[in-house]
Formats: sequence, C-alpha cells, structure tokens
Amino acid sequence: MGLSFSSLFTSLASLVRWSKDQDVRILMLGLDAAGKTTILYRLQIGEVVPTIPTIGFNVETVEYKNIKFQVWDLGGQSSIRPYWRCYFPNTSAIIYVIDASDVERLDTSRSELLTMLSEDELAGVPLLVFCNKQDVQGALPPEAISEKLGLAGGEKERQWSVRGSCATKGEGLEEGLDWLVNAIQKK
Amino acid sequence: MYHLLKGLHEYLTRKEEFSVIIIGLDGAGKTTLLEKIKTLYTDIPGLSPDKIAPTVGQNMGKITLPSTILKFWDLGGQRGIRSIWHRYYDDCHAVVFVIDADDRERLSEGWEVFDSVLSAPQILGVPLLLLANKQDSPQSLSVEEIRNDYEEWHRRKLESARRSYGEDLDVQHRAERIASLDVMGISALEGTGVRAVVDWLFIRVQNSRRRDEQA
Repeated sequence: MGLSFSSLFTSLASLVRWSKDQDVRILMLGLDAAGKTTILYRLQIGEVVPTIPTIGFNVETVEYKNIKFQVWDLGGQSSIRPYWRCYFPNTSAIIYVIDASDVERLDTSRSELLTMLSEDELAGVPLLVFCNKQDVQGALPPEAISEKLGLAGGEKERQWSVRGSCATKGEGLEEGLDWLVNAIQKK
Repeated sequence: MYHLLKGLHEYLTRKEEFSVIIIGLDGAGKTTLLEKIKTLYTDIPGLSPDKIAPTVGQNMGKITLPSTILKFWDLGGQRGIRSIWHRYYDDCHAVVFVIDADDRERLSEGWEVFDSVLSAPQILGVPLLLLANKQDSPQSLSVEEIRNDYEEWHRRKLESARRSYGEDLDVQHRAERIASLDVMGISALEGTGVRAVVDWLFIRVQNSRRRDEQA
C-alpha cells in the first residue's frame, strides 16, 4: 500500500512541477546603466532598442526553447534598489548584470549582489552574472570579475555562472540563457 | 497506523546523499562529463557539448541511484578560480580529477595541480578517481600511459625536491596514495566509460562513509 501511495504522490508531484514550469519567473537586476533593459529587449525581439533609465520595472515574456520566461527588469538606481526585495518570492533564477567597463562601481555592484543573495527567499536560486559591455575598451573579463565578486565557496548550494556579454551585439546572451535553462531544470 | 506505514515507507525508501566534486584544469571536460552524467541518469538531458563554455562558477547535478543520491559539484578549472576548490574539500565524499589525455603540452601543469589536490590534508581519506578524458581522440594517451606519465613526473619532482630540501616527510603517505590510485579512461563527449565512473563512485562513497563511522 505504501508503494501505491508513493507512486500516486510522485505522479501528483510531477503534475505540480509541470504546472509550475509554465511560470518561470526571472529577475534581472544590477546597477543602473548596466544594460538590463537592452538585454531584455535583445532577448525578446532580437533587436537593440533605445532605452532610458528604468524607473520602476519592465516585465516581458520571453519565449526561449519552448519555455516562457517572465523576465522582470528592475530599475537599478540606488534610490529604487531597496524595492528589489518586493519581487524576490517565487523567483526561479536571477540574472545579474554588471557593466564590466565600470570598474569604479564594481564594489558597489558586488555589495548589492551579495546583500541580495543573502536573502532567504533567494536561497539556492541559480544565478547568472552577465559581465556586460565586453566590447568597451577596458572591460574586465568574466574571470576577473568573478574573482572580485568572491562568490566561490560561500555559495555551495547555488549554481552560478559568470559570463561575458555584449547586449548591443547580442553576444553571450543565448549561451547564458542555455546555461540558465539547464540550471533551473536541475534545481 | 498511518504514521507507522509512513515511517516504514520512509525507512524503506530513504536515500543517503553523497557529495562528489569534479575538478581539473580548464578545458579538461569537467562540465561535459557532468552534463553527460545528467543525460544518462536523469529524465532531463544535460547541455550538449557545443553549448558548454568555460565554467566561471559552479554547476551542480544530482542523480538518484539505488538507496543513494549522488550530488555533483563541477567547479571551474581556470587558474584564477582553482583557489576555490579547497572550500569544498571538507564535506565531499569523493573527488574526481579530470585530465585531458589528449593535451600533452599541459600534462605537467595538470600534474602540478593534481599533486596539490593529492596532498590536501582534508581529503587524504576521501576516494579519489583520476580520469583520462578525451579517449575518443586517437592521439590521446591511454590509462596506462597517463599513470606512467604521472609517476614519472612525480619521481622527477621528488628528486628535485630532495636535492633542495632533503627528505620529504610525506613521501610514505603519498606513495601509498599513488599506489592505490584508480585511473579510468573515458570520453565525456561520447559517454564511453561514464557509467563505469558512476559505478565506481557509487561503491566508493559507501566505503568512504563507513570509514567516517568507524572514526
């Protein structure tokens, strides 16, 4: 009897998981002018659209490999960063965008990221870091940024990946999403 | 009654979880191996090899075997990121070190890193498996050649060390470790030998646990 119960339970659980898959919520965060909105529209319509600093947020549904992502692009200015946390519940993955050429603000970016990751609601949620603007001269490569972020070791229960990207050219974005899709499924 | 049955069910189906870390130089094929393991042992196929970029970060995978769950950590292998490996040593039950058997030029760099892993005190008692990856390439060194190459490298290193510092205290221990070292040839790309690796891990983590309990 235990067995039949357990198989019933497993099939129910997989049903629940399946319906959950329909709503994959991804938060895209980072300091202002890192390129979040540009990445969002590059992913959604494959084009570079002119953007203005986001006050509040942009939400778009991005369909990629038959999975519908609800991507929340939250404004990155310091005055609105405290509101990020309102969006933390039910998040499947985080995309954190860093302007790799903005070396001066890397420390700020790092501390915002670490503060965010320490939230219980985001425990174990896969993290994809885009070191954006790789086309700009003086942009740090992902390895250097990864070292500065110092995620290693402290984040054992989280899958994370630091990658280079260039949103205006569309480079690195799809590869990053491929990794993210894989990471979400394996959670 | 329900709780009794529930407890019984839980007892019969309980699974123990073991952690395995996959390390090695960049480009050795660690992520390809992990993704292949996922493809072979889970419902959801892993990333295909052409989609895999150098890992700056950490990938994880979990597979379920009879009464056992194996949890894999695939850690980046680039020079800058190797320094994080040791943070995983304390709670891992097995270590898989992947070497690119096709890349003769970087073998000694690989051995240098492997040697530091071998001598890490936290994992002295932990099962360690050396994988000679990329056996699909015709130029790649065989398991036997890889083992000999390491032993040769090690001998040379000892000699030069003796000349400069005198006797190495660790020699005895190290020699035992090397003598009992398991080396397997695989092709993470094609999947050859991957099941044998998982079988090896499955058996060895159980022993690793027993050793813990005795202590």
